[in-house]
Parts: sequence; structure tokens; C-alpha cells
Amino acid sequence: MNNPYLPKLATIQKVKVETYDTTTFTLRLDDSGERKAFEYRPGQFVELSVFGAGEAPFCISSSAHGRDDFDLSVRKVGRVTGVLHEMGEGGQVGIRGPLGNCFPFEEVKGKHILFVGGGIGLFPLRPQIQDVYRERAQFASVTVLYGARTPEDLVYQDELEQWQQQEGMTCLLTVDTAADGWSGNVGVVGSLLPKVSIDVSNAVAFVCGPPIMIRFVVQDLSGMGFGDDAIITTLERHMRCGIGKCNHCMIGDKWVCKDGPVFSYREMRAMAEFEE
Amino acid sequence: MPEIATVCPYCGCGCGLYLHVRDGRLIGVSPSRSHPVSQGRLCVKGWHAHEVVDNPNRLTHPLVRREGNLVVASWEEAAEVVANGLSKVLESEGPQAIGVLGSARCTNEDNYVLVRFARGTLRTPNIDCSARVQCVPGPAPTSGGPSLGAGAEEIADLDSADLILLVGSDPTEEHPAVAARVYRARQRGARVVAAAARAHPLARLADVHLPVRPGSEVRWLGSLLHLLLAEQGFAADADMPGLSELRASVAGLRPEDTEAATNVPAEALREVARLYLSSKQVVILYSTGLALSTVAGPALQALGSLAALSSRGGGPEVSVLGLLSRNNLQGCRDMGVAPDSLPGYVPLNDDAAVARFEQAWKCEVAREKGLRAWEMLGRVRAMYVVGDDVTRSLPDADAARRALEALDFLVVQDIFMSPAASMADVVLPAAAFAEREGTWTNLERRVQGIRKAVAPPGEAREDWRIVADVSRAMGKPLPYESAKQIFEEIADLASIYAGIAYPPAAVNGGIRWPTPEGRKAGETVAGSGEAEVTALSAEALKGPGARAETNEEYPLLLAADPTLRPWDGEVTVCHTLTSAGEFAVVARDYPDGMLCLNPEDAKRFGVRGGRPARVVSPKGESQMQVRVTEEAPEGIALVPYNQAMHSGLMEISTDPETGRPVLAPTPILVGPVQ
Amino acid sequence: MTARMLPGNKIDEFAVRLMRSAEVVAPRRVGEEDVFYGAIASPDEIAWDYGTAVEPLKRFLLPQREPILRFSTNGRIRVGAEYDEQQRVFLGVRCCDVTGVAVLDAMYGGDTVDPYYMSRRERSTFIALTCQQPEPHCFCVCGDAGPFLEGGYDQQWTALPEGMLVEIGSAAGEALVRDNEDLFAEAEVDQVAARYRLAREAEQKFGEFKSYIAGAMRKLSMNEVAPAVWEQAADRCMECGGCTYLCPTCSCFTVTDRMAGQDGVRERHWDACLYSCYAREASGHNPRPEREDRLRARFFHKISHQWAVRNGRQACVGCGRCVLGCMGWAHTPAVSEGIRRGVMT
Ligand SMILES: Cc1cc2nc3c(=O)[nH]c(=O)nc-3n(C[C@H](O)[C@H](O)[C@H](O)COP(=O)(O)OP(=O)(O)OC[C@H]3O[C@@H](n4cnc5c(N)ncnc54)[C@H](O)[C@@H]3O)c2cc1C
Ligand code: SF4
Ligand code: SF4
Repeated sequence: MNNPYLPKLATIQKVKVETYDTTTFTLRLDDSGERKAFEYRPGQFVELSVFGAGEAPFCISSSAHGRDDFDLSVRKVGRVTGVLHEMGEGGQVGIRGPLGNCFPFEEVKGKHILFVGGGIGLFPLRPQIQDVYRERAQFASVTVLYGARTPEDLVYQDELEQWQQQEGMTCLLTVDTAADGWSGNVGVVGSLLPKVSIDVSNAVAFVCGPPIMIRFVVQDLSGMGFGDDAIITTLERHMRCGIGKCNHCMIGDKWVCKDGPVFSYREMRAMAEFEE
Repeated sequence: MPEIATVCPYCGCGCGLYLHVRDGRLIGVSPSRSHPVSQGRLCVKGWHAHEVVDNPNRLTHPLVRREGNLVVASWEEAAEVVANGLSKVLESEGPQAIGVLGSARCTNEDNYVLVRFARGTLRTPNIDCSARVQCVPGPAPTSGGPSLGAGAEEIADLDSADLILLVGSDPTEEHPAVAARVYRARQRGARVVAAAARAHPLARLADVHLPVRPGSEVRWLGSLLHLLLAEQGFAADADMPGLSELRASVAGLRPEDTEAATNVPAEALREVARLYLSSKQVVILYSTGLALSTVAGPALQALGSLAALSSRGGGPEVSVLGLLSRNNLQGCRDMGVAPDSLPGYVPLNDDAAVARFEQAWKCEVAREKGLRAWEMLGRVRAMYVVGDDVTRSLPDADAARRALEALDFLVVQDIFMSPAASMADVVLPAAAFAEREGTWTNLERRVQGIRKAVAPPGEAREDWRIVADVSRAMGKPLPYESAKQIFEEIADLASIYAGIAYPPAAVNGGIRWPTPEGRKAGETVAGSGEAEVTALSAEALKGPGARAETNEEYPLLLAADPTLRPWDGEVTVCHTLTSAGEFAVVARDYPDGMLCLNPEDAKRFGVRGGRPARVVSPKGESQMQVRVTEEAPEGIALVPYNQAMHSGLMEISTDPETGRPVLAPTPILVGPVQ
Repeated sequence: MTARMLPGNKIDEFAVRLMRSAEVVAPRRVGEEDVFYGAIASPDEIAWDYGTAVEPLKRFLLPQREPILRFSTNGRIRVGAEYDEQQRVFLGVRCCDVTGVAVLDAMYGGDTVDPYYMSRRERSTFIALTCQQPEPHCFCVCGDAGPFLEGGYDQQWTALPEGMLVEIGSAAGEALVRDNEDLFAEAEVDQVAARYRLAREAEQKFGEFKSYIAGAMRKLSMNEVAPAVWEQAADRCMECGGCTYLCPTCSCFTVTDRMAGQDGVRERHWDACLYSCYAREASGHNPRPEREDRLRARFFHKISHQWAVRNGRQACVGCGRCVLGCMGWAHTPAVSEGIRRGVMT
């Protein structure tokens, strides 16, 4: 019987410290057959086993293009993430997935693409940003707005710099609280929105971050004229199984793990709980 | 998949449950429908009871401290180390330098053997249980009187009550099986009155909620007595001993005049008096919310007077049911885990009775009055602790920890590495409830047999067996082979248990003591006392006094609420999955303490829910996370008792007679953290 | 309807034959008067005259705790799983409980099959026993799950004076008759008629908890429930989890890893959506911080139209165990009534 609870073994290839509490782990499945079969799209996630500590869901934070390994960027918050952060290259973990649905890609070609990320909300957006930029010509414009609590909390700093300089892409940063040496924008990520001038009637926004940030940004976007189907986000919920059995991630009549984690604002509005 | 009938190991209700076993492991729990307490229900703790047994964190081997570290030892070595350690103290400082703590969790048999070990083998009178700090100080429950917990009262009284008075009790948190009966009584039309500062769920549903200011319990009860006697023309029997004194002591306590001090609106109190007089059967429930009050003793006396007045004055029939917090706190008391009596509440000065024990135990018994748990700290040099932890029960937790650290020798028997165990010189692994036989006695004095379903992990064994091993290593073997044998000796020597055949099967709810036979066997047996009324003490009427008064500097009153999340952090709960679900929230979201504030107070002091606040009292300063809730009354901040114990903020009040320490309401200032 | 007759004096023999090739799980008295479904060693143990068993069949398909993965961290990590492959016949179990399994099938089958569940499920045969005397807490009439079923069983038995009228509902049910043809007789027309008469009579015997779920379902599904109802229900719930643990169709679980030396086991355990940490995220954010939020989510899953569509039927079967097991007073009939009337009593 096919057993969706059985993890595939993977080995940590690379460990890159992003911030004081966040690290990107590059993982490669041990079995070459499993490696070939492991096809994923931006927005999808995996369940990562740290054997003995437990399992936790993480979105895949790298584009699948040209790679047979993938990144998970992990903030240290508890048991599983705590033990993972102690592991180094060569460490063995388990992977189930890819799980969940993915961001629309073909459907949004030809549109202005706006990414709005807050904190570690940039993790799920990153593969989509990479894929969109790879096919830059297919899109009307690409804008990335990213905010973190402090400059220290900004993840993917090298890449952010690159994005800011890259041709054909606008990347604006902000922090809630500035520190010495920060000359950029100060304020919540929503405060960057007025700086964006795109044709909202032909645009789509990908929004990801803490619940409170999502709520405010979505309000702002609606105010700017983004339709409910043109705002797309990924939701995070306590998850145990990732396959719609344990029910921890249920919202209304949806499972975030199975019906999501990617939802349009229209779907989110229908999820009664979100309105509170 | 056989179902093994046993008893829940947590609260004093003593619910009947079944354990499911497969391949020698516990795989689940089911409630018993036919059991008179559980009636098909279990609370969250009971539903997870198997996890406390089959748990990776259990102690499995004896541990002995060597060069600072606890290392695995054989039972023989460990017993030897314990025997030597204790003997050394005995030789140099005498038996008075040793303190022994029994357990409100362990079986009657464990506690009984421990008493024999303390008073017989060690010859120390210092034996007690720290959970007893939660019991109202005063006469033992056998001395009669309707209020003192050994009459006919039982949980089933709730099924026929038409008025239920919750006095400082929130059974939804502390005694869920009792709460279930209150909900059902309410559903069939019984009226409910809740007297507690916190607007807990049953208080919100109650016909009347009296938001009693902590410390003023005697005062509002005095006012109620005044109303009944003076205004409502309660037909009290004029010849009742003590009546005129009682009358005099409550004269002038018009509810309008006590309102300010008690927070109890006069009209609400009048409504309670009316409800009371129009009822036929009243059940009064009290628990730690009253028992840990600074005026617990006099308050309980007032309740006793109320009940006595009723019974002699044609008022409603009243049962007063004291709800004990732990599965076997009752049995632990019954077994003489006390500095002032022998098993069965046998007084130490009863020559004939003591002689019977000496004959049976074939040794002299330490007959002097010993130290109470809280008196031992700082006075004894060595302690032998069975399933107890002073750092979790005594109000000044940090002082308790320091006292343990300062001991020359500490032995702890437990199933987990409790805070006390982690400080011990020797840690002895005990068998958990599903790994052994024996009896527990619930809060209605149901003696119920627990059953062995699985083998203990590693080398863990029954507490009584460990104690017997240690005694043997000290050259005084205790001749016990089985729980049955011990129980039979108890039933023989402690008349309160006379007539109970072993095992009192849990499926039937066991057997309540005293049995008719037991009643005959002992004159000390419960329920024989005359109903009495007593005057309310002027001191108690005043309440906690000036130290608990708010003032300009400290405008808010901080009260430790023992009915609020009473199981948080408890060693047997925090190792189960209940701590991942139900029990984790407070521990995780409010690790430094949950300061419950009324929305008005939160606004007034400029603090926000979920954020830390700075709390300053005359005793100290601390930070706690704020929870804004309508449950807290205006002007009073509530903190779970077991968090307040560690806060260093609160005054400690001691009972003048017993020295029992409790946290007293303390004025504070609250503000945002800068 | 295909029906046969199992004469009274052949019932034990039939059970004994079943026991030769399978574990037979049947209602039996435990302790004083508690009835549990459990494996029997002899047909004498079967309590044919019971009302509702303390627990539904869930424990046999989804144990309260079970290993879902074994691993070893000695050297390179190895992982493996094992399945319960015991054949089981559930004999004389209640219609509501058999219907409950259909909901579990929807949740544990579907496009991602749970292999631990399915391994047991595929090896299970259900012989339902119709209910002629519902108990006071029963409301399966409102759950569309009894007292007699029109389908969803392998066999359905109705006790008649002469023996059991056996209705056959599946190929597996039919095979059990075929393999034991010598024990069965033809069913007479009036025996079949008796079954329908008994069914009608039983339906008249339901008590106070007749729950009228349909009305509640409509309001719940249309988001028309007065918010006060959830607050009132919250004051009547103690978060014991009993309603979910006793429910034939509640099946949430949590997962833990546990090590013994270098060998580990990943176990799943029953969990309850009413527990305060159930949806709490590692960040501390709790999407359902209040008990009323969690009660609302639970009832939405149990009796909303939306979930009835996803599961193929409403999840509440009306067994009434939540009525018996609720520590407070927030069981399905009480809350359904509250939803309908806009206020809880
Ligand atoms: C779709 C999705 C994508 C995500 N992507 C990312 C990402 O890219 N990067 C990232 O950093 N995070 C991500 N997260 C969040 C991440 O899953 C959590 O941070 C992670 O689960 C934390 O695990 P932990 O064990 O370290 O934390 P813990 O807090 O220790 O555990 C997490 C949960 O486990 C439970 N738990 C804790 N202790 C116990 C115990 N003793 N027994 C049983 N249960 C216990 C708690 O209920 C808690 O909610 C994502 C989440 C989701 C749902
Ligand atoms: S009410 Fe008390 S005895 Fe009953 S299950 Fe809960 S903790 Fe156990
Ligand atoms: S059984 Fe009742 S008290 Fe327990 S969780 Fe369910 S609704 Fe709440």
C-alpha cells in the first residue's frame, strides 16, 4: 500500500544562516529515483522529519529549475526547528511531499505581478519570484515589496540586493523599526504600496506574511482596486499530517494543507473564520 | 483488548475508568458509565491517564548522586545509600532531624507503610504531606459536625439538590466530575449560587454570582447568617448551644454595610437568603478557593453553623461537601500521614489504641507530635519524600526549594523527575497507578481498588515495597508481601476502614467509609457529632487586614486563585499530551504568569492583552503577561495560584494555630513594561 | 431486499464459525454493567440486549494511540511501517456505529488513503443489529443512521421471536450466508413485514433528545447562527474532549516521536479540536483562541451542509454518546437546539 506517512530520506547539502533565528537548509533526496519523481511548484510545501523530534511543515523556498536539490528556510521556534538548527551538512532528515497546491503561473502571464512579503513570508514567495523573473518577458512588470521588523530580520539579503539592482524588476524594502546604518524606508510593508504604480486592472498580487500583515495589506490592495481573485496568499496553520487527515489546519470547509496553502482572497473571504 | 477497570489518578472525584492494553502497553482509556462518579464521562486528564504511565520520561532505575550527578544504581546499592544516609542523621542528630512526606497521589497502602516506617523504623513523628496545605486547618474530619467532611455527604446529593452553593469552588477547573453534576442539576431546574471573585463559567450561568473579594469570606457569610437570623426570621432552635454567641457576632452585619468590604451587592445577598429559605435541599461545595483563603478555618465554621442552624431550625437540609484536590488526599489523611495522629485518626495520646499499633508493628511508635510539612523545612536535616513536592505545593516555592537544597540528605520516590527529585541525593523510581494494586479514597471517602494493567518500566516498583526495602536495609524489615495484606492490616487497626473487604472494586464505586461495621467498631468515627453553631471570630470578620488594603501607591489587589488552571505544571500532567493540547496554553502563552485583568483595569493601567506588564508589590517586582478578561472583577487582578507561588510578589499569611502558610491578597501596581 | 432467517438456535453456531477465520468483535458486558464492543472468546459473552455500547467502533479502526512509523537512527536512518492485518467481523453492532464508519471511510479514504485505517477497514465485516428500543439519549433518526438501516452494512440483523432476520447488504455479507448455507432458512413474508413494523414502532420511541439537526444544519451552513449561542455553549463546555473521543466520526489526531535508545517510533494519538492548543501555531498565533471559536468550528465540521457534501453525509449519526459523555452541557442535541432557537437553555 502506498503510505503517505512514510518519509523519503534526504541529506542536508548546505546550511546558510540567514538571520539570528533563520537558516536556509539545502536538501537532496538520497534516492535517485525519488529525486527524479520529486516535482514541485512554487507555493507547495513538505513535511520535514527530524527523527526523534518530530515533523513540521515548511514551504519549499527555491525554484525547481535546474536543480535536483531544494531549499527550506526555517525559523527556529520550537522542538523540531530547534533540533534542525543544531544539524549540519550531512545530517539526515525525512521529507514527505510535495504537498498542497501551488501559485498560479500560466494563468497570470501577461499581468503586472506584485509580491508583498512580510518577515518569513518571503520564503514561499521566493520560488515564484525566481520563476517569474526567469520568464520576465511573459509578464507586464514585476515588483517585490518586502518588510521585516528590523534590518536584522531581513532574510535572503544577498538576493534582495540582487533583486534591487536587477533590470526589469522593482524591489522595495522596509523595516518596522530602523537600526543604525539603515537608510531605507521605515514603516509597515503596506506603506510601500503607494509607491507602486501599476495598472491594477491587469495585475495580480501575491501576499504572504503574518496573519495581521496579510489582513492589512489585503485591505489596502482592495482599496487600490485589486479584485478578490487577483489577491493570492498562502496560509499557515498548525498541521500534523499535511494530507487532510489530522484536521488541525481546517478552516471552515477547507483544509489548508490540501485545498491550500495557496488561496485567493475570494476563497479566504468564504472561509468564515478568517473574517474574525 | 481487555478493559481493566480502575480509577482516575488525578483529582479527588475518583472517576471510574477502563484501561485498554495491547501487547503489554496501555493504548487508551474509556469512561465507565456504571461508575457512580464518572457516569460515562471523563475530563481531559482522565481521558489521557494512560499517557502518564506509558511515558518516555518515566524514572526507570534507582539513581544515586555521585560527584554531583545522579547515576544509575541497583536497588541494593540505593537502599544501602539511603539506609546509611538516614542512619547517619539519626545517630548524629536524632529522629527529630528527619522529616517524612507522604503522598496525596500514592495509595493508602503506600502511605500506611510509610507511616509505619516513619514512626516505627525511624521513630520520627515528623510525617506529613505537603498537599495538606490545601486543607482547611482545624479538627480532623472524624470529630463530627456536619461541616467537616465525614458525614453522609456525597456527590450524588447534587442530583436531588434544589439549591447549589459554590463557595470558592470552580469545579469546571478543579473537579470536573462534580461540575458535570452541577450542570445536570441546573438543567433540571436546580438553582445555583456561586461565591467567588472570578466570574468562572458556572458563576456566569448561576442564578446569583457573588463576586466575593478574597479575604472577606467570613464577612459575607456573616452577613448571610445575619440576614437569615435577624431579617428573614429563620426559625432557629433557641436552645442550640452557641446560638446566642453566633447571633451576637453577626449582629449589625447588614448586607448594605458589608457591601464595600466584600464586593457583594446587598440585593444579591438578600436574593441568596431568599433562595436558601425557599429550598428543601441545599448542597454547599467548597474547595481550594475557600480552603486556601487566609480565613479558611473560620469561614468553614460559618458554613458549619449555617448547616447546623438549618438542621435544627427547620431550614433546608444541607450537605457541605469539601472537594479535595488530589485523588488520594483523603486517604493520605486517613492513613495518618500527619504529625498529630496515627492511621484512622487515632490520637497519639490514646494509650490503648497506640498499644494496638505497637503490638501489630512489633516496635515502639514515636508518640510525640511532629512537625507539619511546612514546619519541617529549615528544621530537619534529612527528608524522605514519597510522591510529594514541596516546591509545587507550598506558597513560597522558592523558599521551599532553598530548604531542600540545604538538606544534608534528601530521598525522593516518584514516577517522574520532579523538581524535588532533581535535587535529591537518591531518587527511587516508583510504579505508576496502572502498574500496581492498592486503594485510593476519593473526596466522598469511597475506598476504591486500583488494578495492575501493565508492568512497571525498568525496575520501578510499588512505593510501599521501596519503603519496606529501605527499612530492611536499616535492619528493620517490614513484613509486607501484597497490597491486600497491607489493606487488611489497615482495616484491622484503623476502625474507619473496618468492614471493607479487599479489593473494593472500582467498577461499583468501591465502598464508602465508614461502613456500618466501621461505625460500630470505632467511637471516633465520623458523623456522630452534634450539630453545633459557633460565633464568628471578630478577627476573621475583619479579613486579611491592612496589608491587603489597596492604597494610592498600590491601587489594585492581586489575588492568587487556586481554582484557576490548578493542574498547570503538575508533574503528572505536564508529561502527558494534555500538555500539548489543553494544558499547554497558559504554560506556553503565559510562561511568566497569567495576570488576569478586567478590561477596565487594563485600560486604567495602560496595559494590553498578550503583552507583559510590570507588577510591583510591597514584597517585590515581577513581569507577567496580561490576559484581559471579564472573568476578573474590577479592582482585582487574578493569577493562578501555582504561578503566584513563584512570583515573589505576594504576602504570606500563616494560620495562628497550625502555622499553615497561604498566599494572602496583596496590593499591587500594574503598568506597561517600558 | 434480500433477506434470510438465522434461527435462534443457530446464532451461536454461526458466531463460532465466524470466530474460526476472524476476530469477532461483539457487544459484551464489562465490569458492572458497561457494554463495550470487544473481541469475544465465546458467543456466550455477547450481550444481545444492550442499548448503546460505551464507545463506538472507532477504537478498532483508529486506536487512541498507534505507531505510524518506526525508525532507527543507528548509522544511516532507516524507516518502516507495519499494519494491522487482523480479519475482524463486527457482530451485533449498532446501526449508528456502522454508519459512523461510512464517515470515517470518507475522511480516511478519498484521494489520499490512510493505509493504517484502510488496512483494518478492508479486513472488517459489519453485521449490524437493529434497535428496537432506543435509549433516552439516542437520536439516530435525526442522524439518518438508524434505528434500522436501508444500506451501508454487510448484513443487518433484526431480532424476531424465531431468530434473526438477516438482510444482506454487500457481497461480503452474502458470502457469509453462502459459506454457512446450512444454518440459514428462507425468510417468510410476514417475517419481513415484521421487520418493517418494528422499524416504524422503534421510530416512535425516541425521547427528549430528538435533535432536529436539519434546522440547525441550515442555520449553521448559511452562517446564520446567533453569536451568543457559541458564547453560551462555551460556558457549558469544559474542554474535556469527551464528545470527540466518544464520537463515532470524530477522528482528529496529533503526532509525536518517541525514542528508546536509537530506535524511535512515531505515534499518532486522538486529539480534540476543542482543546485550546489544537490550532495554536508555533508562532503563538491561535486562530481559534476562544472556546466559542472552537465549538463553532467543531459543529461546522459535524453538521454543516458544506461538510455533509464533502463527506457524503452529515458527520453526526445521532448515537447520543456526546449526551452521555459531555462533562458540561454542550453536546450535539443541546447545541443544535440552541442554534435553532438562538439561545441555549
Ligand atoms: C504550509 C506551511 C508552511 C510553512 N513554511 C514555513 C517555512 O518555510 N519556514 C518556517 O520557518 N516555518 C514554516 N512554517 C511554520 C512551521 O511549520 C512551524 O514553525 C513549525 O511547525 C514549528 O515546529 P517546532 O516543532 O519547532 O515548534 P513547536 O512549537 O515545538 O511545535 C509546533 C507545534 O507542535 C506542538 N507541540 C509542541 N510541543 C509538543 C509536544 N511536546 N508534544 C506534541 N506536540 C507538541 C504544538 O502544538 C505546536 O503548535 C510553515 C507552516 C505551514 C503550515
Ligand atoms: S474529574 Fe477528576 S477523577 Fe474524573 S476524570 Fe477528571 S481528573 Fe479524573
Ligand atoms: S464533551 Fe462537552 S465539555 Fe467535553 S469537550 Fe465536548 S462539549 Fe466540551
